[in-house]
Amino acid sequence: MTENENPVVEIDHLTYRYGSQNVLEDISLTVEPGSFVGLVGPNGSGKSTLVKSLLGLLSPQSGSVKLFGRPQQRFKAWSRIGYVSQKANSFNAGFPATVFEVVSMGLYGKVGMLRFLNRKHKQQVREAIQAVGMSEYEKRNIGELSGGQQQRVFIARALVSEPELLILDEPTVGVDAYSVQSFYDLLSELNQERGLTLLLITHDIGAMTRYVTDVACLNKHLHFHGTPGEFERNQDLSAFYGHDVQLITHEHEPAHAGGGRG
Amino acid sequence: MIEAFFRFDFLQYALFTGLMIGFLAPVLGVFLVVKRMSLIADALSHITLTGIAFHMLLARYNPTIAAVTPLYLGLAFSVSGALFIEWLRRMYTSFKELAIPIVLSGGIGLGVVFISLADGFTTDLFNYLFGSVVAVTIQDVRLIAIITIVVTVLLTLFYKELFYLSFDEEHAAVAGLPRQWLHLLFIVMVALVITASMRIVGILLVSALMSLPVAAAMQWAKSFKQMFVYAVLIGEVSVVTGLIFAFQLDWSAGGTIVLVAVGLLLLSMAGRRLLTKVAVQMNNRRTTSVE
Repeated sequence: MTENENPVVEIDHLTYRYGSQNVLEDISLTVEPGSFVGLVGPNGSGKSTLVKSLLGLLSPQSGSVKLFGRPQQRFKAWSRIGYVSQKANSFNAGFPATVFEVVSMGLYGKVGMLRFLNRKHKQQVREAIQAVGMSEYEKRNIGELSGGQQQRVFIARALVSEPELLILDEPTVGVDAYSVQSFYDLLSELNQERGLTLLLITHDIGAMTRYVTDVACLNKHLHFHGTPGEFERNQDLSAFYGHDVQLITHEHEPAHAGGGRG
Repeated sequence: MIEAFFRFDFLQYALFTGLMIGFLAPVLGVFLVVKRMSLIADALSHITLTGIAFHMLLARYNPTIAAVTPLYLGLAFSVSGALFIEWLRRMYTSFKELAIPIVLSGGIGLGVVFISLADGFTTDLFNYLFGSVVAVTIQDVRLIAIITIVVTVLLTLFYKELFYLSFDEEHAAVAGLPRQWLHLLFIVMVALVITASMRIVGILLVSALMSLPVAAAMQWAKSFKQMFVYAVLIGEVSVVTGLIFAFQLDWSAGGTIVLVAVGLLLLSMAGRRLLTKVAVQMNNRRTTSVE
């Protein structure tokens, strides 16, 4: 298993232009196996563009991305990566699908075309639902659940293929403060107990620094990559990107919290 | 009625065809509705009309063509229309619905010109517009049976991919599903089913058979799989009841089928509301009695 020693993600001098404007400039970032990286940046800082470039949904103009040591263009084992997007919050709420059906989708890529889910797969789906604590909602319609519960279902969908890397793009948008807390607890547990590598993208640093092993700050360039402790000590950075605001602004709206300047 | 059924071939043809499209149209309709693409069926049915009109124009000058069912040319046009729609949707990614008026009006424009060059509005053409119980031929039945088999096999094979793609296109792409290819496959299937359904329900009403049973099924279905069961059930009941009434009363088949479907939709909506009300009241009573 030499492959495990490769960094999970290796971004090398990546630049992405939209028209004549640089959205991302010369980004180099490495995500080591077993780490929990929090990538923070204000709105419009290119976070989602970076994620989409990682996943091959966008093609950057220069630079390269390696996934598990393989150039992304030639990467085929997509089931090793779980992805939970911001959009999960704005899917068609009336869509008539049960929690079980939604989580099953997570296996489709791994099972492959022209094959059907067997009993073992269904068991895996149930286990993933259980892992996020949603077993009693298995047969419920996805649209009937709260934002926080839906987000758990989407995590289960990402987990069911037993990925080694989980990428979460603004997963807590539209989720209430209490659920956000238990959501982070869940991520932390996945990271520590299962050794799942996590890349969490957010504009609101919130309580994140308490859970992650690495903080990376993005605003077109990568400004910082280090431990949460180093981040907190760097006053300029935490002034710009925000800090553990829950300690300061307890009951305030999250909109004020993250220092959302573009 | 039953005696007539065994006496007249055309009634048997109409019933077999009806049973096939009562299954096909709602099944594809489920995907169309959840993808918010139900109007695409309208665009494709109108381009099918263009194909039918083109057939009639050719048939006027060539008796060999006149002997063949116009469904083949209708099929060719609707499949080309489907490919054209997919291409337009890729060109106008932010305004995907633009593909519908473009294909729909372009199709009608061309179709009307063909009609005026041929014989004008004949009974035959009228039957294609509004459907007919008596016009189904054995040739039609064969073609529609082939379409039914092909579409059913394809849907079974690609069910999970089409489901994922309808629910969440971005994640489906990240999971490595070939989405362009699947879109194309799907829209070609829609074109096939529209051609198949047209004989009975008519071009102007095909999209109703793809959306009304699905809208009714939505009131009852608790899962995506159940959507298919209910939609097909409602679709089949609409088609069979519609055909019987149309034959007995000498009404237009398409119109009657659609009216039955509308009736079932209204019943579903009312039934659902009633049930919800009863459930709420039972719940209230239970909580008060516990207190």
